[in-house]
Formats: sequence, structure tokens, C-alpha cells
Amino acid sequence: MLPENITLVVGRNERWSGHAATEPFEAGWAREAVIFVRALKEPKGEQPVARVEISPDGMRWVAEGTEIPMPSREGGIAVLRVKHFGNWLRVAADFPPDAECTVLATVHLKA
Amino acid sequence: MTSPIPTNDLTEAMRLALLRADPKLSRFDPLPRIISHDCFSTGYCGWSQLVGNYENDLDTMLPGYAQHTSAMLSTLPHWDSGSHGGMGSSYALKIATRPRKGAQNVAIKRHTFRQRGKIRFEIYFTFKPEATELKLSETDVRSVGFLFDLQSGDQDDGGQRVMPHLRFLNALDGQHVQKWQFKRRTTELKPIGNTNKTLSHYHLAEEDWEDLPGGAQRLCYNEIPTKINWTYLAFDFDLAEMKALSFRCNDRTFDMSGFESIRIPAMKNLWCMLNFCLFAETDSDKRAFLYVDSVCISGDF
Repeated sequence: MLPENITLVVGRNERWSGHAATEPFEAGWAREAVIFVRALKEPKGEQPVARVEISPDGMRWVAEGTEIPMPSREGGIAVLRVKHFGNWLRVAADFPPDAECTVLATVHLKA
Repeated sequence: MTSPIPTNDLTEAMRLALLRADPKLSRFDPLPRIISHDCFSTGYCGWSQLVGNYENDLDTMLPGYAQHTSAMLSTLPHWDSGSHGGMGSSYALKIATRPRKGAQNVAIKRHTFRQRGKIRFEIYFTFKPEATELKLSETDVRSVGFLFDLQSGDQDDGGQRVMPHLRFLNALDGQHVQKWQFKRRTTELKPIGNTNKTLSHYHLAEEDWEDLPGGAQRLCYNEIPTKINWTYLAFDFDLAEMKALSFRCNDRTFDMSGFESIRIPAMKNLWCMLNFCLFAETDSDKRAFLYVDSVCISGDF
């Protein structure tokens, strides 16, 4: 059997501002994850750095260490790649006041 | 059309013997033809996110659909006891809502049918809220349920789109209700975009659920939010008459004579549609989780 791989949409047309994060997702079966965050609309204000977060339980989150600047233009894509994450994953970013970005966040998992 | 394979007592006995010797199928009661048998240690098996219709701009998607996210393959991991696992493997399909009272999420499997006749939908499932509190939390999940989305063939007279819905209303506004409900009305179909090609209706809106007669049932919930028990469910539906035939959940069989489906005029692109949906709703500002260990969909053809 071919190894499982899947594309998950974990945030679609979501307006991120303030403390923003995708919904938590479980990916313990996967050996690698590639996460894309695409700006669906022109971002407003200063764009922060997006970071991968991992968790022991899906409720308490710690930075995994992988970071990338959020897209600065409509259509721009930020890419985060992680290989050691246990089970839980999410992407988070802290926007300064008056800044926002409407995102499509997709996760590509491979066993 | 009858089954192309002649059946008699011997062939039926052989079929049952083979089913019962298979540990993964033996827990189901499938009709003669297995359309799909989903064990989530082998992957997603076609259960994907129910995305809403849109045209030109995602902002045109109805809010009920916009909240949906992708299902997960889960080991039912818990902060206090680790992974619970499934019945026959470590994995189950997990459908999680957002942490906002009334939030819903839906997973869908999309087929078409080749035979009008009886089909059977069997699952082993369980549900829990996210364990954010050290409390029983038995009224935090509003409901879990399933629906079919069906449409007649393109040559049928008086074609209809038919959507049988059933949910286990676990709790509503903090009351531990515990009863099965169905739906015969949907929200108005709304045009999406401006080319008159796409319509959408949010058929899982909170309005218009009706009690299934005799449908009160107390399920095994267990004593803390991180203990789960698998529950069996089977729903029989006749694609020829577009009518529910029977519904079982664990040791209970329910009278379906008072059940009705949502029925709307056939849509122009959905002929012979045979879709299956699983959904969860939360009654609190906590995520609700529907877990499905396995699914068996079978037909009498």
C-alpha cells in the first residue's frame, strides 16, 4: 500500500488579527508536515511572523521553533516545514493593532 | 433489478460465515454488497471536509459552511491517560467543531448509486467535548449525527433531492436531553454569486429538528471527559422509494414510521447522488469531538 498523504484545509477565508491561530489538528501518523499560509486578500498593516506550535494535549501550546514572515501581498504564500512534532500541530501569529490578513491555511501530511 | 448472483440458503450461509470469520467485518451486519468499509488505520477512506458552495469569492459561502474544517485521523489522545485508540486499530476519524457554542463541523463521503434499492449505513462512534475542565462535561456536546444527500436518476419522473437527517441531541442550552431527532424542512435555497448557476442551503441549521417518536435514549458516556465507549448505529434506507426503513442504536430499534426526510426539487447537476455526512455540534464554548472507529456501507444488489 502507498504511504498515506493528505491535504487538510485548516483555515479557509479566515481573517487573522490580534492573536491568531488555526484550529488544532492531529497529525501523529505523519512523518512530515508542510504548511502553507496564503493571503487571500491584500494584507493590512505590519505583518508578523507565523510560527509552528506543538502541544502535549491540543490545549496547551509551545513554539516549535519554525517561523516564517506572513505574506506581504495578496496571493503571497508563507511555507513552514516540520518533521518532529509528536501529534498536535497548529500555526499561530500575533498581529499588531490594526494589522490583519485573510488566509487560506493548508497542511500537507505524509506518512 | 434483483441481485445477479442467485441466492439460496447455502449461499447466504456461506456469506455470513465469511463475514463472521473476518474480525473487521464481523462486527457489522452488511447487506450482500459492501459498497465501502472504512477502517481509519488505512487512511481517510474518502471522508473529506464538507465545503460550502461559492462563486468568484469565498465570501459568498454561507456562514454555516464557512466554519467547517478538515477531519483528522486521531488516536483519541487525552492529557491524563494518553491515547485511547479505536476498536481494531489505534485510529479513528475525528470531526471537531470550533470552540464556540452552536459551532458545527461535517465530514462527507461522496458516491453515486448504481442500483435503486435498500442500503445500510453502519458505524461505531463516540463523542466527547474537549477536556478543558476537570468536570464530567456531559452537556457540552449538543449533538452528533449523520445525513444522506440523495438525488434521483436523470430519467426519473418527478425527480427529487432527498436528505434524511438524524441527530442524537445530547444537550441543548445545558439540559441533558438525550434523544434522536430528524429533519423534514431545510432553510431557503439561496443563489450564490450572480450567474444563477449555484444555489446553497444550510440544512443543518438549528431550526426545524423534530423528535423521533420514541427516540429518547441514554448512551454510555462514561465518568470523565477522557473516557470513551464505542456505540453501534445502523440506518437502512430504500433508494427506490426514497424512504427510511429502520434505525438501530446499540440495543434499541426505533420505529421509523414517523420519520421523514428533507425533500426538495431535483437540482440540475446531482443525478444519482449518494452522499454520506457525519457531523458534530457543540453546546458550549468548547470543541465537540465526534469520533468514528469504522463505517460499513452496503447495498442489497
